[in-house]
Amino acid sequence: MIWDKIIIGAGLYGLYAAKTCGDRGERVLVLEWEESPFQRATYINQARVHMGYHYPRSYATAIKSAHYFNRFVKDYDFCIHQEFDQIYATSDSFSWTNREQFTKFCKAADIPCEELVPEKYFNKGLCDGAYRTREYTYDAGILGHYFVDELKRKINVEMKYGVRIQAIEKQGKHFAVILENGETFETGFLLNATYGSTNQILDLAGIEPFKIKYELCEIILCKPQQQLLDVGITVMDGPFFSVMPFGKTGYHSLTAVAFTPHMSSFDSLPQFKCQEKSEGYCSPRQLGNCNDCQVRPQSAWPYMSTMAEKYLKADYSFSYAGSLFSMKPILKASEVDDSRPTVVRKASENPTFVSVLSGKINTVYDLDEVLKND
Amino acid sequence: MTEKRTNQSIAFDKEKNFVSAVIYVYNDEERIGEFLQKINTVLRTNFENYQIICVNDASEDNSLAVIREIGKTITGTVINVVNMSFYQGVELSMNAGIDLSIGDFVFEFDNLVMDYGADLMMEVYNRCLSGFDIVNAAPKKCGHKSSRLFYRVFNRYSHNPHPLRTENFRILSRRAINRVHSVSRTIPYRKAVYANCGLKIATIVYNNDLSCLKAYGKETRYQRKEMAADSLILFTNVAYKMTILAAVFMMIATFGIGIYTLFSYVFEDVVSGYTSMMLVIVFGFFGVFVILAVIIKYLSMLMELVFSKQKYTIESVETLSE
Repeated sequence: MIWDKIIIGAGLYGLYAAKTCGDRGERVLVLEWEESPFQRATYINQARVHMGYHYPRSYATAIKSAHYFNRFVKDYDFCIHQEFDQIYATSDSFSWTNREQFTKFCKAADIPCEELVPEKYFNKGLCDGAYRTREYTYDAGILGHYFVDELKRKINVEMKYGVRIQAIEKQGKHFAVILENGETFETGFLLNATYGSTNQILDLAGIEPFKIKYELCEIILCKPQQQLLDVGITVMDGPFFSVMPFGKTGYHSLTAVAFTPHMSSFDSLPQFKCQEKSEGYCSPRQLGNCNDCQVRPQSAWPYMSTMAEKYLKADYSFSYAGSLFSMKPILKASEVDDSRPTVVRKASENPTFVSVLSGKINTVYDLDEVLKND
Repeated sequence: MTEKRTNQSIAFDKEKNFVSAVIYVYNDEERIGEFLQKINTVLRTNFENYQIICVNDASEDNSLAVIREIGKTITGTVINVVNMSFYQGVELSMNAGIDLSIGDFVFEFDNLVMDYGADLMMEVYNRCLSGFDIVNAAPKKCGHKSSRLFYRVFNRYSHNPHPLRTENFRILSRRAINRVHSVSRTIPYRKAVYANCGLKIATIVYNNDLSCLKAYGKETRYQRKEMAADSLILFTNVAYKMTILAAVFMMIATFGIGIYTLFSYVFEDVVSGYTSMMLVIVFGFFGVFVILAVIIKYLSMLMELVFSKQKYTIESVETLSE
């Protein structure tokens, strides 16, 4: 049997594509390395539904985020946490943007921002501007359950977990995905929606890789104290930090630009020193899940919390609950403007091979165009 | 047996305070490696959490490469590098490093001359804990004649409660850093602002080895001279006194000349000598120029303080990790 579409990766982009095509009655197969969906980037990040505030140096990214924001919030409102004040602030030193520039930027990108007195949240002299903005956070757990339930009801969509792909071969008008256990699946349309492993899949198929660098990132989960409970804080955008609600979990996520990435790799396939110690669990050809890895890095909690404490007034305190690690691919072209464009790249047509690389959740609609069958 | 136990208890009973060490690096490829290792050893042994910030003042040699190399050998995200966009001298660079630091206590290393034992760092830290917001480590002997002269003039004309002297490194509490920043936005000469900040200051004088002394490069020498002139004007009244003195003297002189001219006009035949007239003119202009020079210096400093928004210009910040 030949599948209409095979999707590699059961993150949001993969499952959204599966649902979109499944709704149209297409026969869809989803292949996932992990034992369940949403185990990596969809779950392990700041869970921000981006409105664009994050990108004062890339108007294009900002405007696009704002554009999709309302649609995403409407479509997935059941997993969206919006009952909190999202505060953005510009740091007095080391920021690539300042108060005037940020105000101007919000106006240009047409996103709401109400200026506040920085001293309400921050220690004196550390931030030159503070703003109440409109930005939400999503709960990956709830979102995952929704997709699993939806897809279960479709007999034309099949999910396979714990999949080990050995090779991807082009055979005439089809791609054959060959697993280690000998199983083979064929399709005329292959979607690579794997984020951190995207170049590894491209490598299997013999397709030119994305020009990316890899960062092994840590997201800290923390328990907010009373005052911080209904507040999210992001200090932009040099070596700064963000502490904001993590979906509806009751936790806050804590990240700091200088301390969130633990290691970097500039190789086309991600190469890290710790891989040697992982006893085959993780390699440049197949990334393991750092959260299950015995040699995962030590937490940077002392650094991130001290940095946040330096900025935040003592009322807005929090305590350590745990750490999550994930691999982040960053387009090398984004180093200067810090933009996070969603790249949808079609490597071949008939049979079709499409890769998607995105750092944001609400640009998932970018897939619509490429999933069309015409 | 007892000794072993104390050693162990030291090893496990590390300081809970987060400390930052800010190091100024400018063309120091020969010294920085060893220096970083030494500092790191002291901090690693004594503190649970610490960071080392190297401020690379646009070094033209391999300093940055050496720092990166050392970064690989130190586990954790300990070392940060601030790369200045272009050479800005020790003061602005150190300000950048201190702004980036997150520690409860911050060590400042202006130069990489380690003419003291590494345990002096802890001595300075412990003195700080005993109730001083700023503790300096000062060498007993200072090699540079020019700096001795500078401090003598500075201390004579400034009304600082704490006379300045040559110092090698110091520690600041977070409270001191906050205070200093609330006192003035731009900090052109840290030492003078620190001495004026009104918090408790202590100085530990140690016996140093003069042979470690570092010769300054041409650019650094120039920068130090500028710095000395600027801080004499900003933090002392020596220039003000000089100008006032010159102005008063000129006034009296001019007045005297006026009287003499009148007198000779009335009582003597006017045989005005060309030479004496010229002398007066030259002398007068000389005085005016002295005053002008000082005024111009003042103005240029005011310009800088008022118009430059950025305290310093950085190119990038990087975190090195193993």
